[in-house]
Amino acid sequence: MSVVTLQEARSSSERYRAAFEAHGRADDPLTGLRRAALERFVAAGFPTQRQEDWKYTNLRRLEARTFAPAEGTALDVGAHEQRWIANAGTRIVLVNGQWMPALSSPGPQLPGMTLLTLRQWSEHDAAAVAEFVARTSRAQPSALEDLNLAFFEDGVVLDLAANARPDQPVYIVHQWTDGATQVMSNPRVIVRAAAGSRCVLIEHFAGAGTGECFTNAVTDIDIAADAQVEHYRIQQESLRTFHIGHVNVRLQQNARYSSHDIALGAGLARLNLGTTLQGPGAHVALHGLLAPLATQHLDSHTCIDHAAPHTTSDENYRGIAGERGRGVFNGKVIVRPAAQKTDARQSSRNLLLGAGAEIDTKPELEIYANDVKCSHGATTGQLDATALFYLRSRGLDETTARTLLIRAFAESVVTSIGPQAVRNHLEQLLDERYALPAGVSS
Amino acid sequence: MSMLKIENLHVRAGDKQVLKGLSLEVGAGEVHAIMGPNGSGKSTLVQVLAGREGYEVTGGSVRYQERDLLALPPEERARAGVFLAFQYPVEIPGVNNVYLLKAGLNALRKHRGLPELDAFEFLALVREKMKLMHMDESFLNRGVNEGFSGGEKKRNEILQMAVLEPALALLDETDSGLDIDALRVVANGVNSLRRADRAIVMVTHYQRLLEYIEPDRVHVLSGGRILKSGDKSLALELEKRGYDWVKQEAASA
Repeated sequence: MSVVTLQEARSSSERYRAAFEAHGRADDPLTGLRRAALERFVAAGFPTQRQEDWKYTNLRRLEARTFAPAEGTALDVGAHEQRWIANAGTRIVLVNGQWMPALSSPGPQLPGMTLLTLRQWSEHDAAAVAEFVARTSRAQPSALEDLNLAFFEDGVVLDLAANARPDQPVYIVHQWTDGATQVMSNPRVIVRAAAGSRCVLIEHFAGAGTGECFTNAVTDIDIAADAQVEHYRIQQESLRTFHIGHVNVRLQQNARYSSHDIALGAGLARLNLGTTLQGPGAHVALHGLLAPLATQHLDSHTCIDHAAPHTTSDENYRGIAGERGRGVFNGKVIVRPAAQKTDARQSSRNLLLGAGAEIDTKPELEIYANDVKCSHGATTGQLDATALFYLRSRGLDETTARTLLIRAFAESVVTSIGPQAVRNHLEQLLDERYALPAGVSS
Repeated sequence: MSMLKIENLHVRAGDKQVLKGLSLEVGAGEVHAIMGPNGSGKSTLVQVLAGREGYEVTGGSVRYQERDLLALPPEERARAGVFLAFQYPVEIPGVNNVYLLKAGLNALRKHRGLPELDAFEFLALVREKMKLMHMDESFLNRGVNEGFSGGEKKRNEILQMAVLEPALALLDETDSGLDIDALRVVANGVNSLRRADRAIVMVTHYQRLLEYIEPDRVHVLSGGRILKSGDKSLALELEKRGYDWVKQEAASA
């Protein structure tokens, strides 16, 4: 045990070191890996606004708190199931970051697909986990990814055999217990799609409770040649939650990845979504909706790294900020010298619903090849007064007209969603979010 | 019966006085044409009548079916039977054309204490009206005016009018940007909607439209006021002689 207690430690990252000493298990096969990550985290500290990548997002409130690693615990399914997406697919429920078999309904194993808990994998083959993490970690992982690595307890490992095409999505629910407060979870989802396989992964950060919690989630996806992964990330955590997400995707030849980043929840949320197109013909499509209300701060930083020739990317982000909400979008595109014939498109369109709302959007292009097509466009505006008048002149009341125009603005992201259950869920959330006030008739 | 009675209307847009004492009375069953040079206030008039924000009424009154029209928000005017066919219909991607029609019609019906139409009844109604406007059913499931040509947009306006069945229809430059075939379709649509209990006010630059939709009254609007009124022969005279003689006549009167 360490002699440094939580209260005595001066800097926030040192307090996490104390928590690490207090919670670490002597028999943890990954101790070496974790400790190295922790030391990197302590050395780097929390990101600050002096770093270009964090210019618009201030983590001081997160840094001021110290969240203890959460305990996994049983949960009353009935109270939460209504928040989950019904019939979304093979369901896995992580409560406070830990797989709860009793709540999950993996059903019969689908051919070619293996689902393991990360804890099981770590216990049975720690060397394989260590090797995987070492191989997939970026040369310089971000500090908060290191924090996840130091503390992760559990997660999901999804392996697809060559040409496996399970006929239903894998639906992962990240759920907090109602009473959770001052705790953090560091779930890790690993997807390895072998050549020619296809799958749909739905990650649903369903939130709960009113306590202050810290979600620091990592999703790591490897897509082999000719394989396809469709990834939904529905973030609707409760307003006092800090949500940090890291998604790292690597694509080989002719592989395809699509992301659907739906950010509606948390008081402060930041997603780092990085894709690397390592093989010729690889394609990524990133769709996103950032919809802050109240005093929410929702930030998505995406990076598309074209590292091979004939790779393509298509990015469409929509921001809708209301009340005193703030949205941040940063779309980085790198075209490496070898990546000739790259075709990269980016569009960021944003809607401000009130004078107190703000959206900061920035394309960031680094192009080192000369035979490429890259386009980007960003707009920010308010609801179109003429369109509003047009709808009202047809008999629709102002609230309905506004709601319709807001919904129309999100439409291209909504229609990018394939699984009907997910699309219905999002439509319902948007209906609630921008609904008519009680008593107003349409 | 008086459908619309405008008395001494003064309207300002920003710091510009656009309407300066306009008076006009339109009875049920009548078709009126308002003509005038650019910038005379024609579009301002119909936009103010439909309830567009951004204009300040500084004097005068507007009675519609014995009610104070200017006191109502735009949606209540629509529900009470006022319809504006826009000069530049707005494209609204993401809002379905058929959805708008149905929501609008049901808002009107609800206001009048009528049951809402179900999807089946509504589609039957719209199909019938689309035939009238020579519109393909594929228009229904597109976004409102999204990617429509100029002519298609104007036809869509008259389709909406046919579905909503207003008591007072205001047509703002409905002929602009139409080729002769499209003009015929639009005019036939409007003519088929002439009824004893409906009034139509058309704003137009050109006499051409009036060859197809014959007005009962023609008014010359210039400098924010009605300078001269007459029957359809006035339109022909304007076509021949322009507007200056009307202005001179008014100045010397």
